[in-house]
Order: sequence, then structure tokens, then C-alpha cells
Amino acid sequence: MRAANSGDAAAYRQLLQAITPVLRGVVRARGRALGPEGCEDVLQEVLLAIHLKRQTWREDAPLRPWLYAIARHKTADAFRARGHRIDLPIEDFTDALPAAEGPDPMQASDIEKVLARLEPRAADIVRGFGMRGETVAETAQRLQMTEVTVRVALHRALKAIARLRERMIE
Amino acid sequence: MKTDDLIAALAADTHPGPTVGQRLSRALPGAMILAAVAFALFWGVRPDIAAAMTSPAALKPLVPLALSGLAGALALTLSRPEARGGGPAIALWVLAALLAAAFGAALAGGGLSGLVGALANPSLVTCLTSIPALALPLLAAALWGLSAGAPRRPALAGALGGLAAGSLAAALYALFCDQDAALFVLPAYATAILIVALAGSLLGARTLAW
Repeated sequence: MRAANSGDAAAYRQLLQAITPVLRGVVRARGRALGPEGCEDVLQEVLLAIHLKRQTWREDAPLRPWLYAIARHKTADAFRARGHRIDLPIEDFTDALPAAEGPDPMQASDIEKVLARLEPRAADIVRGFGMRGETVAETAQRLQMTEVTVRVALHRALKAIARLRERMIE
Repeated sequence: MKTDDLIAALAADTHPGPTVGQRLSRALPGAMILAAVAFALFWGVRPDIAAAMTSPAALKPLVPLALSGLAGALALTLSRPEARGGGPAIALWVLAALLAAAFGAALAGGGLSGLVGALANPSLVTCLTSIPALALPLLAAALWGLSAGAPRRPALAGALGGLAAGSLAAALYALFCDQDAALFVLPAYATAILIVALAGSLLGARTLAW
């Protein structure tokens, strides 16, 4: 995290990948009623919050309490916001239903709705980094922007995603 | 979008956000200058300031200043999600208890009629409007700074920001105010400061949520 806060993208990515299974466990343990897909939505919200609030972690403090505090806060928030929408636990129907090929549980649906609402170029930048694994230089070249503007645009897009999610779910 | 894809997008964003401290150090000096200039233009220092500052009335600016420091420190601490109140919270409660005790003692001395007499004073309206007015730029700076943080309880963080801003404004206003009776100063200043804290709490619940 220290490396991440000083701008080391590779170290940061490794950290996010390492904490994701742990956080997924936390969210699923608390949010059984949301179903695997709903849990993945919440997990993505937690990751976005960790990302946008990463400067509130003090370098001399242990990382784990900070991570859990954010995860707890965002999970509670998400359940409060979704409180009125109760998903029936699918386990109750497994006997009656043929085992259909379910959607990939890693795939979250909320973020697609949010990306659809985002300004097209911003959504394109986020997708470029996320799904096509582009680098800043590649995105800059493809969209004919400078690298600095790409960085700023990505940062703004991620902030906008966090904001939009909150508004859409409420 | 898969979670792994989101992680890739997040990791690519190396743009570091500002910390609460950075934002406050950018916004607070300007807000303080604004409040000080407004104070110099529309209020001004009381003429007998030198005599007042060597009497017990010197506590009028000093106690709010201490209150502001404690509330600010606590707000800063609680802007981290995992933080607990700790030392500053205890100190703040102790100070609040001391002020309540001082008010109790003054009330025991002057009686209820003394309190009514002290507050039936045109200075009361001036006090209750001036302190929140002077606190306005300070509150805005405090909330803007705190919004870079991640407080577990946004309304509480906002209230503490308001407490700090209101107390600082009260310390400034005390240089103008020539009412030195404890039965006036304690309830009037406390009410004015709490108005700002309440505003901070209401605004904080919206602006500091994350």
C-alpha cells in the first residue's frame, strides 16, 4: 500500500488482487441475501471506496483495521441502500429448478449500468484499462490525448462511477 | 465488467487524492484571513482590549481557542475510517464538563433572575448572529478539508468541524465583545458555537458521506 500511494501501479494491483478474496468473503458472509451477483456489486463498491479513500490510510498504521473499517462501512451502506429489495435465496429452489448455467459470479451488473450512464469517452477509458489492459500511453495514442489528460480523465471517471452508483442504487 | 477488470482500471489510476491535512492547509489560511478581514471591517477590537486581556475576561478568547483546537484535532482523527476518539475526545468532554460546571457555579451565584437579567441585553442578538457569520468561511474550509477523509460517522465529523469553526469564530468575536459577565458569556457563546456545530452536523451528513 505504501508503494501504491507513492504511485507504483504494479504493486497496487497486486495488493488489490490479494485483498479481493478476503473482502469477497467478508461481503458474502454478511450479504447472503443479495446473492453472489449482488455481493460482487457490493465488493466492487468496497474496492472503489478503498481506491478513492486510500490517502486516509496513515503509513505508520496497520493496514488491516483500515481495510476492514472501509469494507464494513461500505457493506453496511450497500445493505441499507438495498434494504427494500430482497433477493430470495436461490438455494431454496435448487431442487425445483434445473441447474442452469448461471452468470459468472465474478461479473457484476451494477457497474455496467453505471458505465452506460457515464460520459462515453470516460466509460471507454475505464473499459480500455480494465477489460483490454491498455496502458496510459496506448490510451493516449488511441484517443489522441496527452498522457496527463488520460490520467486525470481516468481519475475523474472512477470518482464519477462511485458517485453514480450511490445515486442509482438509492 | 468483472472485478479483475475493475482492479486493473483502479491500479492504472495513480493520481493520488489529496489528504485532509493538505486540503486544510490550503483552505484554512484563506478562510482565517477572510474572517479576520471581515472582523476588522465590521466589528473591530474593543477599545479597552489591553485592560480586558489582563483581567479574567482574557479567558473569553482563550477558552474557545482551546476548544477549537481540541475539536479540530478530534475531527482530523475521526476522518480516518478505523480511528477511535481517544485522547482528544476525553479532553473535549473534560473541557465541556468544566464549562458546564463554571456555568453552574455562576448560576448558583447570580440566580435565575441574574441569568435573565444578563441575557436581556441587545448584545445577545449581536453575539448569536456574529459568531455564526464569522464562522461561515471557517466552516466551509473545514468541511471541504474533511470531505477528503473517510469518517465512519459523517454527521459527527461535520459537527466537530462546526464546533472547531464556531469556537474559532467565538475567540475572534471575543476581541470585540465588551460583555464580560459569566452569566452572559457562557450561555450566549455556547449557544452561538452550538448553532455552528449543528449546521456542521447537518451539512456533514451529506457532504462527508462516502
